[in-house]
Amino acid sequence: MTDAPAGRIRPIGKRRRAAVDLRATTHVVATLVLYLSPSTLLPTAVAIGYGERFWHFLAAGAIAAGLGWAVARRTADADPIGTREGYLVVALTWLFVAFYGAIPYLLSGEGQLDRPVDALFESMSGFTTTGASLLTDVESLDRSLLIWRAETQWLGGMGIIVLVLAVLPRLRVGGRQLLESELPGPEMESLGARIRQTAQRLWIVYVAITLLEIALLAILGFTGIDEQMDIFRAVAHAFTTLPSGGFSTEALSIEAFSATTQWVIAFFILVAGTNFALTYRALLRRDPRVFPRDEEFRLYVGILLVASVVLTVELWAEGVFAGEAAVRNAVFQTLTIVTSTGYSTTNWDAWPVLAVITLVGLMFIGGSAGSTSGGVKVVRHLLMGKILRRELRQTVHPELVSPIRFNSAPVDERTLRAVGSFVLMYIGVFIVGALLIAFDAARVNMDLSAIDIVAVAASAAGNIGPALGPAGPYGNFESFSDFSTVVLILLMWIGRLELLPVLVLLTRSYWRTW
Amino acid sequence: MKIFVIGAGQVGFTIVDALHAHHEITVLDTEPSRLRAISERYDVATFEGDGTSQRDLAAAGIKTADLVIACTSRDEANLVAGMFSRREAKHATTVIRTSNVEYVELWHAGQLDVDFVVSSELETAHAISRIIGVPAARQTDVFAEGQVQIVEFDVTEGASPAIAGLPLRRAEVPDDSKVAAIIRGDDLSFPGGDDEIHPGDRIVVIGSPQAAQAWSTLLAPKGASVRDVVIFGGGRVGTAIARVLLDQGIGVRVIEASREQARRVAESLPKASVYNATGIDPDFLERERIGQAQAAIFAMKDDAKNLYAASLVEVHGVPFTVGIAHEPISVEAFEHAGIDVSVNPRAVTAEEIIRFAHDPRTRQVSMLEGNQYEVLDVTTRPTSSYAGQRFRDMPIRGALIGALVRNGTAIFPHGDDVLEAGDRVILFTRSADAQRVVEAL
Repeated sequence: MTDAPAGRIRPIGKRRRAAVDLRATTHVVATLVLYLSPSTLLPTAVAIGYGERFWHFLAAGAIAAGLGWAVARRTADADPIGTREGYLVVALTWLFVAFYGAIPYLLSGEGQLDRPVDALFESMSGFTTTGASLLTDVESLDRSLLIWRAETQWLGGMGIIVLVLAVLPRLRVGGRQLLESELPGPEMESLGARIRQTAQRLWIVYVAITLLEIALLAILGFTGIDEQMDIFRAVAHAFTTLPSGGFSTEALSIEAFSATTQWVIAFFILVAGTNFALTYRALLRRDPRVFPRDEEFRLYVGILLVASVVLTVELWAEGVFAGEAAVRNAVFQTLTIVTSTGYSTTNWDAWPVLAVITLVGLMFIGGSAGSTSGGVKVVRHLLMGKILRRELRQTVHPELVSPIRFNSAPVDERTLRAVGSFVLMYIGVFIVGALLIAFDAARVNMDLSAIDIVAVAASAAGNIGPALGPAGPYGNFESFSDFSTVVLILLMWIGRLELLPVLVLLTRSYWRTW
Repeated sequence: MKIFVIGAGQVGFTIVDALHAHHEITVLDTEPSRLRAISERYDVATFEGDGTSQRDLAAAGIKTADLVIACTSRDEANLVAGMFSRREAKHATTVIRTSNVEYVELWHAGQLDVDFVVSSELETAHAISRIIGVPAARQTDVFAEGQVQIVEFDVTEGASPAIAGLPLRRAEVPDDSKVAAIIRGDDLSFPGGDDEIHPGDRIVVIGSPQAAQAWSTLLAPKGASVRDVVIFGGGRVGTAIARVLLDQGIGVRVIEASREQARRVAESLPKASVYNATGIDPDFLERERIGQAQAAIFAMKDDAKNLYAASLVEVHGVPFTVGIAHEPISVEAFEHAGIDVSVNPRAVTAEEIIRFAHDPRTRQVSMLEGNQYEVLDVTTRPTSSYAGQRFRDMPIRGALIGALVRNGTAIFPHGDDVLEAGDRVILFTRSADAQRVVEAL
């Protein structure tokens, strides 16, 4: 008899394992929180640099590190997690990370975020890269707090678990399934033989493009092309563009900057909504043709073009904008909504109805799979279209066998089923969210129109950010009651994890063995 | 010639039958009863042994063989036997039979160290595409494993003005093709750039399968093209037929009874319509208007089923039926029952292999116009005076080089291309000149 590799095979009968191994789950979640705790060092440094108060960042880091370390140590003898625990790990990690992100807001003494629900909303909106805010006066915030807001988005964009897998040596998980539940899109594309390699490569591209955007924006500031831009704003906006986040340091969002800056940021929004695996391949092989060869990218760009043209025509015809301003505002708003970024260069809440409805329609599209954007994702729309077309063909030819192809490779029927059910579940979550907000609005006598409610729910579930009405680009979510705030927090959380890891926890069979 | 046949199955039998009179044949098989049967019928040596065993091959005397044919029903056995005979009999030509089209592709790419790979499925598919592939054609023949087609067309009044009535240098001759001959009355000429094609002529075209298809559309623009062929059975034979027909631009419907197999076929052939049905359900045949098809091919595993389905489909109105007959006797049965053409894959394979036993340099001969003209497939000698010359400079008269096969791939040469030693040349010539032309190359 040879020895079984340690940690791989558990002796039978040693101990009965529960349907969901909570101890193992707790261990992994605590470890992840511990690993993320140094992230408050950046705002600490910024605070010291600008002479602002900084102890609340250190305290938050210390609390996360201390709790994470203590719990991870107490559960150190836990078994490795299995597939089933994976969903719970992902769901809980994102919840606890949001709690952790809220601590600096609470301890900062900032009056706008001194209530736990509000701080949690701001934090969840950050990590899920939604970009919805409760702040009534962004510009009065400490610079260190503004950087912390931006950093939460940047960390959440490519996925916090992906980050941990990429940077840190060893996590007792298989990896692939965790990554799949965190990366947007129906299927994960591997960029290497090992999960760790894939995670590292995604982060390398992500960091590289972020640095590029910081440099370009800073140059615009230094050369005086944009008077408003400086190195601080360059960093803060690059940190929220690439995760398709949308937090800005300015009350007017990107409208505060010059037209050139707006075009530059628009380009990086386009990149943020593109599959990073594709960008990695294009950079690695120095071959830009990987983009037009990808079916999803073609549709993504096609949707953006059509929507931009439609919006330009609508805005121009209605006399809202003319000339370059019409094109720029149409393109920028299309990009920011489709990729779920949530910046704005104008107050679209004041737009004519036709243009507003167009924007609300775009909220249901989402960027590409493997990008940092939220929402349904272009590839799912593409596959749904193909599924529907096949249904129509099979109505006439019942015996027809017609595999659906994506980038000319046949797609597994199981994946197609998952896409179909995702879209249905997404609609379901959106409707439930919208109903709860409508119910609450009626309860507290809040003045919200039907389209406002639709936009608010779609925007939260799609991780977009601003919506319409009081929550429009010039507004904020301050006026929503605590109940609605919690609903929105849940919507952002469920939406960012693409429903499944959270919804599966609500089924009885998840918690049972029978 | 000393020929070594590994495998005494149906293919082996057919090969021995065709070659035993003129060659010295040794047959090797693991099954004594099959060897006994073959030696009772023919004057051949037999050896009981395993073709995949180097020791058995050596003991059977493979060293002295000129031609080794591995034609068992198992691909891997044939590959291994081919590999060993390459080692043992350094000068022998090795031919292996395979049912896997992938091996044929590998061989084309130069990855398999054997001289020829013959696939039953591909040969069957080519045989069928010869029958239904090129409409408006009087006669079709394929060379170089289906990469080159020789087609004889009638030029009718309906021929496209882009091709008829114009000097050939200005006509829109499809890429990768050449007019090898124009037959006007009893007169055959090798055309130059100034010659014209007129309605009433017959022409011989050498070109790729796609080009042959393009010619067919040019010469008979309306109606004559085959758009809709139904293949019953999506097994290896059916899939190979479907692929060859699709490559020629023909619309193909495949009917396969097994759900998993139907899915596999649909995945590998994006352009075919694949149905998961038994093919003998009258409702299905009616619903899908199978009767509208221009031809139906029956490639299911069971001959009896093929026969039954063919009868049913004929009742539905399909004008042309082709049956795959796995048992030799079925060929006759099918034709008795009214199936238009029957093809036995093993017989087709054996015929293809037998061609290698002829002149080692001349691989394939096809006769046109009542044996007055021949299409030859000749390998250029290293010492040939034509090697290294540009085509436009060649003094060959009374013959036309239609295509080359270099490293397993067909090339349709232009005037500036250069002939290399070792190229297989597919040429069209008068029978009377054939000997002279072959010697010159």
